[in-house]
Amino acid sequence: MRALLTIATMVLGAGVAQGQMPEQTAWAPVTPKAVLAAAVAEVIRPNILQLDEASGGLDRAMEALCAMPSADSLAIASDQFGQVVRAYGAIAFLRLGPLLEDNRADRLLFWPDRRSIGLKQVQAILATEDASATELASLQGKSVAVQGLGALEFVLFGTGAEALSAEEGAFRCRYGQTIAANIAAMAGELTHDWYRPDGIASHLQTPQPDYSDYRTETEALEALVGLVSHGLEALRDKHLLAFMARDNAAARPKLAVFWRSDLTMAYARANIKDMRKLVAASGVARAVSEKQQGLENTIDFEFRNAIRALDLITLPVAAAVADDKQAAALSYLVLVTGSLQSIIGEQLSAALGLSVGFSALDGD
Amino acid sequence: MWQRRAFLQAAGAGFAASLLPRQALALDASELVFASAVQTANGSYGAVLLGEAGELIASIALPDRGHDVTISRAAGRGVVFARQPGTFAVVFDPAGNAAPVTLTSSAGRHFFGHGVFSPDGRLLYATESDFEAARGVVGIYDATDGYRRMGEFPTYGTGPHEMLLMPDGVSLVVANGGIETHPDYGRAELNIETMDPSVVFIDRRDGTLLGQLRLAAGLHQLSIRHMAIDARSRVWFGCQYKGAPSESPQLVGHASMDGEIALIELPAETLVDLRNYVGSVAASTDGATIAISSPQGDLLVVIDAAAGRPRLVQTLRSGCGLAADGDGFVASSGLGEMIGLAGAKRTPQRYDFQFDNHLLRVG
Repeated sequence: MRALLTIATMVLGAGVAQGQMPEQTAWAPVTPKAVLAAAVAEVIRPNILQLDEASGGLDRAMEALCAMPSADSLAIASDQFGQVVRAYGAIAFLRLGPLLEDNRADRLLFWPDRRSIGLKQVQAILATEDASATELASLQGKSVAVQGLGALEFVLFGTGAEALSAEEGAFRCRYGQTIAANIAAMAGELTHDWYRPDGIASHLQTPQPDYSDYRTETEALEALVGLVSHGLEALRDKHLLAFMARDNAAARPKLAVFWRSDLTMAYARANIKDMRKLVAASGVARAVSEKQQGLENTIDFEFRNAIRALDLITLPVAAAVADDKQAAALSYLVLVTGSLQSIIGEQLSAALGLSVGFSALDGD
Repeated sequence: MWQRRAFLQAAGAGFAASLLPRQALALDASELVFASAVQTANGSYGAVLLGEAGELIASIALPDRGHDVTISRAAGRGVVFARQPGTFAVVFDPAGNAAPVTLTSSAGRHFFGHGVFSPDGRLLYATESDFEAARGVVGIYDATDGYRRMGEFPTYGTGPHEMLLMPDGVSLVVANGGIETHPDYGRAELNIETMDPSVVFIDRRDGTLLGQLRLAAGLHQLSIRHMAIDARSRVWFGCQYKGAPSESPQLVGHASMDGEIALIELPAETLVDLRNYVGSVAASTDGATIAISSPQGDLLVVIDAAAGRPRLVQTLRSGCGLAADGDGFVASSGLGEMIGLAGAKRTPQRYDFQFDNHLLRVG
């Protein structure tokens, strides 16, 4: 804890270390039913819709780029890509039901790609002008690594992407357009699944003993808390630690997700921001006994610390890891996500009477 | 032999301080029967040794979360392995005559949480990951020479998990879960689309592959993880399904050194309640029944091994650890409970620590 506070002081200034707690509000317990209802209505469904809309826009922008290639239309498509990355960051931690069907999570973003399998496969498609990658159905039958955001990032920002603004990039563009259509199709499927009557949303909100997914409110709450706890772990392990300097090893910024498009930290920000939103809007940290009421403030305090650290990381990731202050902010972000994971996965779970975080939900 | 007399003095202050005088008395009066990794009430990690009546005999502090325990009477030692991708294993003396010793996995390797001793107690085998190559290996340690790592042989697959010694004393059976992980990415699963699980039999004397068994190709996302051996030397295994959550494939099967591998048919309602997850598998003392657990589904299932049919299902919140007990089993939970199952005469107990996934009965 002392190390964490020291870094917090260094990175964020004395204000945080001295504990500028959020304003206290009157404590009122929330029922599990209300927590589950709000989680779906106020965060999950709106965020899924946001991805649906953003990916629809990307699909149209890619279509326009291919029809009339130019620097302007490439800029529009690239900007729209950024919106989809942010929108995906806001739902990537919703790893239950629809996102896990049909390998959708991996098909939307195959990451980490430790041995650059996806990169090699995408480069091979571009080098051979593999026509089957420009038909939606056949693209969907290919490796998960060539049909999602990672592949499209290489198309739009990787070596040779400048060809997209002219006719010579026609194949590359068609491949990118097909990926965008695939992402939009998956976003549509996610929307359909989350809005389907008697689907996962109603099962999560109103569990029943004969449901195959959520039988009790306790199980549904475990799933909800597990999303945030595991989401924080995934952010730290897959999207932060992987590229940061550690022990005697130098930083490896090219192992950062979305480094080519400089969206690494935008993705992380969307992730953190919407996990915070899920906790806050659902009121899950208020579904505890009065004696545990401080948890809500503790959790939000740590989320705000994480966001303040993100505010300090303004450079592209390759430059950020070489800048003392921004590298320290990254280190602090790792610490604070670990702290949050422990508070949510252990303290909040225990306060809710759940078993998340030990033998039940993090498997082995 | 398994009385742990001097454990109190030998095992270090952290451990000794955890014993109250009444428990210290129990230490002198009872025999070690069960062992499990745990998380203590203050959030730290350790392992506990329990007596026949479930009384706490001793606890061992661990640097991080442990997983399974193996004990060898011949070696006079037990080992708690770190949970994957941990890099430590703690060797302890159940008789309490020596202080625990912490082993560290060699460079480029981490433990997977399971291991076994050779019958003579001279060698310790541990499932490990050669993570740069995404290749499972069995690390071999010399128990007569300070657990020096002597070498390794391959598990012929990725992500090995539980390993057992077959009744012939020579063959090891390893569950290759098929899932690639790398410490750079924590516990993230890197190859769900292309995973390739298998059960392998290996000659422990030279690492020769005696046989490798795979389920049907359509079941390549069924990670084979935990095992137990029945009276007919068949290896029962429990799986964790990594495919679509709306699917409920069969999760329990058996394999043999004759080259047979098959899944048994559990009823649809049982499968749904298992939540695509089997966390532990154990055989009864006579090898006639097999128990499996799902801490995700809060379900325990006891199976008649000869008939291949369930005999009993019982719920236990976060229940995972299983061990033979009398005519039945004992089960432990992530909420600190221990109960009897399928005929075991045992009063349910609740502890102030949480049991990890596996419960060992000391043979």
